[in-house]
This record gives sequence, C-alpha cells and structure tokens, in this order.
Amino acid sequence: MTMPLLQVENLGIHFGPTVDPVKAVDGISFSMQAGETLAVVGESGSGKSVTALALTRLLASPPARYVSGSIAFEGRDVLQLREGELRSLRGKQIAYIFQEPGSSLNPVFTIGYQIREAIELHRPEVRDVTAEIVHALDTVGIRNPASRLGDYPHQLSGGMQQRVMIAMALACQPKLLVADEPTTALDVTIQKQIMDLLKDLKRTSNMSILLITHNFGLVAGFADRVVVMFRGKIVETGPTAQVLQNPQHPYTKALIECVPKLGQKQHRLKVIDYAGIQ
Amino acid sequence: MNSISLSQETYTQRLWRHFHADKFALNGLRIVILLFIVAALAPFLANSHALIRVADGHVSFPIFLSLEPIEWRFLLYVPLAGLVYFFRHRFIAHPGIFILAVIGFIAAVEIFLALTHPINDPTNDRDRPASFKLLPPIPYSPIESTPDQFSPPTWKHLCGTDSTGRDIAARMLHGARTSLSIGFVAQSIALTIGIALGGLAGYYRSWLDIGICRFIEVMDCFPPLLFILVAISLFESQNNMFYIMAVIGLTSWTGVARLVRGEFLRLSSLPFTLAAKAIGANDFRIIVRHLLPNALGPILVAGTFGVASAILIESSLSFLGFGMQAPTPSWGDILSDARRYIDFAWWLAFFPGLAILITIMSYNFVGEGLRDAVDPRLKMK
Amino acid sequence: MTHYIIRRFLLLVPTLFGITLLTFLLIRLSPTNAALIKGGGGEGGGKAMTAEQREQIVKFYGLDKPPLVAYGNWVGKAMRGDLGNSFADHRPVADKILERLPLTISITGSALILSYFLAIPLGVIAAIKRGQVVDRTISFVVFVLYSIPSFAAALLLILFVAGGDYLNLLPMYGINSINASEMSLFPWLWDRILHMILPVVCLTYASLASISRYARVSMLEALSQDFVRTARAKGLRERVVILRHALRNALIPLITIFALELPVLIGGAIIIESIFTLPGMGQLMFQSLDSWDEPVIMGITVLAAVVTLLSYLVADILYVIVDPRISYE
Repeated sequence: MTMPLLQVENLGIHFGPTVDPVKAVDGISFSMQAGETLAVVGESGSGKSVTALALTRLLASPPARYVSGSIAFEGRDVLQLREGELRSLRGKQIAYIFQEPGSSLNPVFTIGYQIREAIELHRPEVRDVTAEIVHALDTVGIRNPASRLGDYPHQLSGGMQQRVMIAMALACQPKLLVADEPTTALDVTIQKQIMDLLKDLKRTSNMSILLITHNFGLVAGFADRVVVMFRGKIVETGPTAQVLQNPQHPYTKALIECVPKLGQKQHRLKVIDYAGIQ
Repeated sequence: MNSISLSQETYTQRLWRHFHADKFALNGLRIVILLFIVAALAPFLANSHALIRVADGHVSFPIFLSLEPIEWRFLLYVPLAGLVYFFRHRFIAHPGIFILAVIGFIAAVEIFLALTHPINDPTNDRDRPASFKLLPPIPYSPIESTPDQFSPPTWKHLCGTDSTGRDIAARMLHGARTSLSIGFVAQSIALTIGIALGGLAGYYRSWLDIGICRFIEVMDCFPPLLFILVAISLFESQNNMFYIMAVIGLTSWTGVARLVRGEFLRLSSLPFTLAAKAIGANDFRIIVRHLLPNALGPILVAGTFGVASAILIESSLSFLGFGMQAPTPSWGDILSDARRYIDFAWWLAFFPGLAILITIMSYNFVGEGLRDAVDPRLKMK
Repeated sequence: MTHYIIRRFLLLVPTLFGITLLTFLLIRLSPTNAALIKGGGGEGGGKAMTAEQREQIVKFYGLDKPPLVAYGNWVGKAMRGDLGNSFADHRPVADKILERLPLTISITGSALILSYFLAIPLGVIAAIKRGQVVDRTISFVVFVLYSIPSFAAALLLILFVAGGDYLNLLPMYGINSINASEMSLFPWLWDRILHMILPVVCLTYASLASISRYARVSMLEALSQDFVRTARAKGLRERVVILRHALRNALIPLITIFALELPVLIGGAIIIESIFTLPGMGQLMFQSLDSWDEPVIMGITVLAAVVTLLSYLVADILYVIVDPRISYE
C-alpha cells in the first residue's frame, strides 16, 4: 500500500478554558489516498469544519489549541511545520472553497486580481498569467471569461461567485481540494450545478476532494468514502454505498433519514432524536 | 458562571455586571461621584471662614452664613440624589409619595434660598483671634486676594496663587461646581431635545422625519464651538451660568436625536411594538412604555459622552473669556489667567488642565464601559 | 457617476437654505438687532455700537425691511460674495476672510493629514495585537490624549518648550520671527516650520486619537471577515493579508471620518490661533467677537458651515469612488 496523501491521527482540538475545554475535535483519525474523494458528514458543531481548517492550520491558535495527534500530508506533519512551510502548503497543495462565496471573496478587488494573486504566488514559472486566469475561469464554466476579469465579486451571482472561488482554488493545481459546505449558501438549482462541476473536475483531474457537508443527499454519487462526525468524534466510516445502505450508528441513520426523498410521502420532516443516540 | 442564574438576571443587573467587570469604567464612575461630593462640599473644604468659631463665649458657624444659593443647592441636592438612589426600590413601589416628597423638599429649599441672603463678610477667620476655631483644610476663599502673589505650589498654597494672590486650590475646588453643573444641566437639555425630536422623527416618520432630519443636517454643519461662541456673544453681555448651560444644550442635541431616531425606527418595526399597536395601545403609551425603555441604554451612553464634551466646551468658553468669568471660579478661567503669565506660572496651567483632563477622562471611561455593557458585541477592550 | 454627483449637489440646496435661514434668524433675533428692527437707536439692546455702525447693520441686513425681503436681499448679496464691510477697517468681509484663509487651511490641513498618517498605523497595530499589552497601551494613551483639552496642552507646551523659564526650543508666538522679511527662502521656510510645529501638534493630537479609535474598530471588523481567511488559505504572507486584503477594506469607512473631524478642527483652530497669535481665520473670528464686528462674525459663521457642508459632500462622493460595491447610478 502506498503512503496515503493525508493521514490524520488522533487529532484533538480544544477551545476555551484549559479546565473543562470545549473539545471541538476529540481524537479523530482518518486517511485519504491520492485521487480519492472523501465526504465528512455531520451537523453544525460536530467539528467537521474545524477539522477542515486544521488541515493547513488555518484555525488560529490561540483561540484554538491543537492538543494531540498529527496531520500528515504526504508524510509531513502539518502541526510541526514552520510558518513559511505552511504558506507553501496553503493554496499550492491544499486549496479551499468555503460556504459563503459572497463574503469569502474580497469585495474591493476584482476577481481577476484575486486569482492572479494565487497564481503569481505559487506558480512563478507561468509566463502569461492572464491566459492562465482565463483558462481557470473557463474550466469552472464561466462564459466569456476574458471579459469578466475586471468584475468585482458583488457584480456576480452567488453561483458565479462560488465558481470563481473554485477557479481560484484550482488555479494552482492543488493535490487536495477542501470544499467546506460549498453549496449550503446557494439555491437548490445552483447547488446542483456546483456539485456537477465538482464531479466533472473530479473526473478530469487526479485531484483529491474532501467534501465537508451536513447533507447526505450530496454524498451519494460523489464521494468514494464517508466519515460521519458527531460531537467531535468519528462515529462511523466506510465506503459511501455501504454507509448509505446499511448505516451502523443511530446518528448516521438519523442523518440519512433527514434527507427528503422524492416520491416518498412524509407527514413531517424527520428530527434527530438525540436521546436515542449514545 | 452557570446559565441558570444568568437567565434570571434583569437587564439592569446584566448592565451592572458588565460595567462592574470593567475596572476603568468603575474607577471612572468613582471619580465622577467623588467630584460631585467635592463640589458639594467645596465651601467646607476651601473657605476663609471657620467651620466653628468660639469667641467671647459665643459659638458661631461662619461658613453657613456665607453660603451662596448655588452652594446650598449643591449641598442639599447631591445628597438628595443619593437618597433617591438608595431608596429606589421603595420609590418604584410608591412613586406618588416619593415624588411629592422630593418636590416638597426642593420647593422648601428654593423658598428658603429666595428669602435668605448670604452675608458677605470680607474678613477672614485665619487671623481673627478666637478661643477656638476650626478652619477648613484650605483656609482660603476662591475670590479672596492674599498678599502672596504668584506663589508657586507650597505647603501654604497647595496649588500656588495667581496674579492677585488668590489661592488656586480653593478656586479649583469651587470651580468643580461650575464645570460639573454646566456639564450635567447642558447635557440634560440636549438629551431632552434630542429624545423629543429624534423620537418624533423615528416614530411618526414621513414629513416629520424629513423635516427633522434636514434640521439636524443644518445644525451639524455649524462647527460646535464657533456656533456657541456666536450664540453667546449675540445674546449675552454679562456672564450667567444658566445661559451658558442653555446655549450648550441647544447646540449639542443632534447626536442624541440621530441615535434616538435610529433606535425608534428599528424598534417600532419589531414584533413587540406591532403587538402593542394591535391591542390598541395609544402612541404615547407605546413610546413611553415600549420604545423609550428599549432605547435607554444607547441614550445613556451618548449622554455620558455628551457630559464630557459639554464640560470641555464650557472650559473652552471660559478660557476664551466667553463663559463664566472672574470672580466666579471655573477651571477654564484659571487657565485663561495662565495665558497671561505663560513665562513662568506653570501651576496656573497645570492644575486646572489636570482637573479637566481627569474629569473628562472619567466621564469617557464611564461612557465606554456603559457602551460595552449595553452591547457586549461591540466590546472594544 | 456624473448623475450621482449632480443629484448630490441638488441635495445641498435645502441644507444651504437651512444654514442661511438659521444664521439670518440669529442675526434678527439678537437683542441688539431686535431693538434696531423695532426702530429707535437700538440702545439698551446690549452691544455697544456707534450710530454709524448701527446704520450700516440696518442697511446690510435689511433690518428696516420685512423679513422675507431682507432675507432675499441678504442671501443674494452673500451668493455674490458680498458679506458686508467690517466695522473695524471698513474693508469687505470677504476680502478679510480670504486673506486669512490660507493659514487656517494650512494648519488644519496639515493637522488632518498628520493625524491620518499617524492614526491609521496605530489603529492597525492595536487591532492586530487585540487584547495584548501593545493594544492596551495604545488604547490607553489614545484615550488620555482624547481627553486633554487642547488649550491646556498648548499652554503647557509653550511653557515648557517654547521660551519662558524652561526649555527654549521653539518659538512661542506668531507665524514668523520678527526679522523674517530679511531671510532668504530656506531659512525663512525653516523659520515658518518651527513656528508651525506647536500649533499643528496641538491641533493634531485630538483628531489623531479619535481617528485611531475608528481605525482600530474598522480594522477589527475587516479582520473578522471571511475573505481574510480566504487570503490566508491562498498561502499569502500575513503581512499581505493584513496590509492588502484587510486594510483596503478597513480604509473605506475611514475616508469619510475626515468630514466629521473638520468641524472639530475649525473649532480647535479658533482656540489654537488665538493662543499662538496666528493671523488666521480663527484669530479674526476671535478678534471680531471681542470687538463686536458683526458682519465679520456672520461671514465666518456662514463660511464655516458651508465648508463643512462641502466636506460632507466630498466625503460622500469619495465613499462612492473607493467602495466598488456602491454603484454610481
């Protein structure tokens, strides 16, 4: 077996007081192979976003405290890296797209500039940066990309903004794309477009994708494997089809039942019954 | 902290808890209270007359005979405010009786002041022989000239003396009254106007709002100090404390009006106001019972900062020779004296400057603490 | 853009009307002038004026005409730049103000620019080091500065560094030394700069304090935004994240602060110019108040209000220019 791309071992992240801290991530372990797509599923507060940000130590410390474990990316422990090494990891090796494209893009810079910044930083060998930006925008399905370079984020719709975020992330050809709730803030139809785009990208490149979501509906047909998080711990993990069809943990079952299905009559929306779990 | 006790906390208790945790704000409040006490007790702290004098077998209390009306007012009303605060719970339980008692007390004091006249005794008790006398800690009156002219700070004159030998420490203690009362009253006037106009604009909106907003805009175009200087010199040739209070108050209400308007606009579209309207409460009731209490926090914050700026304006005016003038002691007036003897008399500038600085800073710390307590999300520190 | 500016200019009209109306009411309601309106000599109305000056005031402000006519005439004259003649030397008020304006503009302008240049780094550093010793120290010092009355600071500075019994590093009064007219250009310039240091410092520190407080809050707000995380996730240096991504956003609201500071600075200039005997507009105002030169007083008041109004306008337009989110139309 080859060395995994990402190996998280017994990771623990605490907030708040040292005595009786908030254990946002409480000793989790998982790994990802190159080219693999992994989904981390859980409700808000389960620690999934904290985990995502921790992969490049984007979570500032303080207030967060990395109390235990390791995050090995291509064999190097991210938690031990110096600031300079971290910066060459961010964007270049591991790129992010976030939940709110509207506020994640800087309102006072053009989208062209914001993509250019990433390319100039990580790919100094590129001669024609503008052509590269246009190519990146083209890849994410923005029509007439050359004419949009001078646009400010507020001039674009939410879906377009998220495409720009994806273009920015892809521009440096990262090995791992972390998509932190990439569709939560978008309309349902736009959600589908963005997920289709991510699926295309997955097919055409050898990039690994870590999808963070609370919605099991997005996982099917997208992720190879699933990790289910609940209150800072991993409660279940396995191939997507297996987890979806035969969930072992009651919380996983509850989460799956929350997804409304077409053609199925439901009298009321399912609500997770926490008393029944643990 | 456990969440159960927090949930039972009233708004005021929560405010006080936040305020109390802010050391700067708490000490600021202590200094402001101390300043008011000093101002109230100024005649007993700095006076050329004795507190008690025994001579020829007679016991007399010379200070009380020489008290000016404003000194009586400070002396009696500051403790009154303390009493009202101390018995505030009973006050709320029996508002009628208490309001009557307070009004009665004030009326009695004012009638007494109208009927009596202070004895203007130019002599002092320092040199006058007596078998027993108890002099105040600073045995000089603020308007009394002594032979020691331009004395730097010494044990005899703690803060030095000015060109006519008046004791600066005595003038500063008495001057506290001018600054504090002008700051307080001027800001009360500004708050009244600001709440009234801002409330009308925010509640009734439409043309009333447009008109009031334009008025605020116009007022804001006049640089405050310049406007006040013009207003004072246009209308008044002699110095009069109430006149200065009124002018400062009439020109510094726009900030409060903007604030109250904004709060009322926000609050009057919230469900609880709509609910009150739905059950048929009249406008007055909605404004007084629902909107005003909810806007009170920000108003209090603005009011506190306003007192600081009113004190600054008052001292600027006296400094420029447009406010309270000699012989009435005020901090700005001592500073304007300092200007003439700038070559050497550092004490004339230093002590009143420091007094103004401490007062303004204390009020600003209280204001900042209140703001953080009213809206912990905006916490600056 | 042009549309916006035109619309914004049209909005000035009602405010301008308000400013002139308020000034006009002040003039007519003052006891002295009220007595003149009623007829008679205006004695007992307060201000001591010669018969000639009374006649001049009645004529210029139209105190003998019905209020509406008088207002129309007065505004008409003011629009043409005729603010009446000074009592003191019978020269046109507009000329007197104009010759003193450059000095006032140069000291308030340098104070404003200086306070921006110092306040923004202070605010940014405090925001980055939020809650740490650096932040608390800056915040406290700024708070103390904010509370020191400028005239007390001016007096103490003169006392201790400009002559007197203590240090004698800087000149005490005026804009130039007595022998300035004999100096060649560079010594003259140096002499002028030395004379300007204390007044500008006294005018600067309070604005500096309030702008740096705004800068800190604005920067904290910017640093808490999602795009800062995006910039970090891109692998940008922390310096670039802060100085380019966060600061660019934090500066937008700060641009408009200058309009709020201007009225305070104009008030401050009156005090500072009179302390340092600088022949600027503030000193002219002060002298006119002292000797009751009514046309000059009213001229300066209206001018100061109009300048403030224009600075609000400039601030609004600048805001639209710097913030790409606000569309021009």
